[in-house]
Amino acid sequence: MTAHPPAPDEDELHAFADGLLDEARQAAIRLWLADHPHAAKQVADWQAQNDAIRKAFAGHARRTPSDAAMVRQPRPSPRFAWNRVAAACLLFLTGCGTGYLISLTQHPDAAAPLQRTSLPQEAETAYLIYASEKRHPVEVAAEQEAHLAAWLGKRLSYERLAVPDLSRLGFQLVGGRLVPVEGGPGALFMYEDQQGQRLTMLVGRNAENRETSFRFATSGSVETFYWIDNGFGYAVTGEISRDLLRDVAEECYKQFPA
Amino acid sequence: MTEPQDISFEGQLLALLPALRRFARSLARSDAEGEDLLQDGIVAALSRRAQWRGLNLRSWMLAIISNRYRNSRRSHGRHPTAPLDEALDVPVPQAEPDPIGRMRLEAALNSLSPDQRMVLMLVVIEGMPYQEVADLLQIPLGTVMSRLSRARQKISDTMAAENVIPLRRQT
Repeated sequence: MTAHPPAPDEDELHAFADGLLDEARQAAIRLWLADHPHAAKQVADWQAQNDAIRKAFAGHARRTPSDAAMVRQPRPSPRFAWNRVAAACLLFLTGCGTGYLISLTQHPDAAAPLQRTSLPQEAETAYLIYASEKRHPVEVAAEQEAHLAAWLGKRLSYERLAVPDLSRLGFQLVGGRLVPVEGGPGALFMYEDQQGQRLTMLVGRNAENRETSFRFATSGSVETFYWIDNGFGYAVTGEISRDLLRDVAEECYKQFPA
Repeated sequence: MTEPQDISFEGQLLALLPALRRFARSLARSDAEGEDLLQDGIVAALSRRAQWRGLNLRSWMLAIISNRYRNSRRSHGRHPTAPLDEALDVPVPQAEPDPIGRMRLEAALNSLSPDQRMVLMLVVIEGMPYQEVADLLQIPLGTVMSRLSRARQKISDTMAAENVIPLRRQT
């Protein structure tokens, strides 16, 4: 056996506890610690701290559905996004209030023209609120697609509600949630492409109208295609090109049961 | 990884996100604060990508997040935030099966100064050698060592003090 290796100083004991030394020195200090119980206890204490800290945060090294959107350039600053959400909420509440007042004071038929314009507005509001939501964009995630369709179908009394498959156009389902549409329950499905660009598809009951033509509404960079078919109103909303959005709308139209 | 690697700036950043999320959370006092810190760091990185020299993106991101953390702590003052939306947090598979132990650890970590916590987490969570920590935070190596030592001492003291209260049932 060679002469005693130099005794470690405190810095070296930290490096030992963190496993930062080369193997030979690590082994030498292990030997030294066997004869120095006070230092050994100290090092064991630090290592126990390390283990506890690593364990406590290990579960956070995970991906979320909005990761791709987060690194997409350019992003509005969070403050700006909140303004948009606040504005959308206000618009939404104003819309609800107006709709409610009108429904109180007018015959349903008289309210029909307003309802026709409120569908794209509601779709746009839902898009603004939920598509920018990073942590809880949906209530039920895409993995539970069957449950999602059954749950929302039941709430809308839409027996054969199936979640449209937009993978042909490069959009994957993120999930869905229940939202109010024209004072009743509505279904909101959210999709995302590989770059994290999102779009939403809104379905709600629409008893008074029997229109089937595609309509288009725009507000800033947010575009909406909507149509009414067999007592249901549909709207697709996103910040994508009008042509692509129209393809999405047609794809949804084809996939919803006539 | 068998997937073809995306070597674009965004692609590399995306690949780093889980690790960066964990690091941000290790500095923060709640899941919400951690996620805010992460997003803040990403926004800052995207707006400053021209300054990135094409070298170690991970270190660059850790430095940005550390800076944002230090600045936000400074503006917060020392008072701890009590997050109300904690119950809404996405459930994370809890590694610590003992919630009281987890609470004691959180309390001990929250007793550290932001400077101590940054050094500790770069060493423990990121496994960084001390000289790299010094370079990343632009402080002398001796300062790294004294902050690390004080952080560990403080955690020991806090945990020991907490032990006086018989929260833990002997089994």
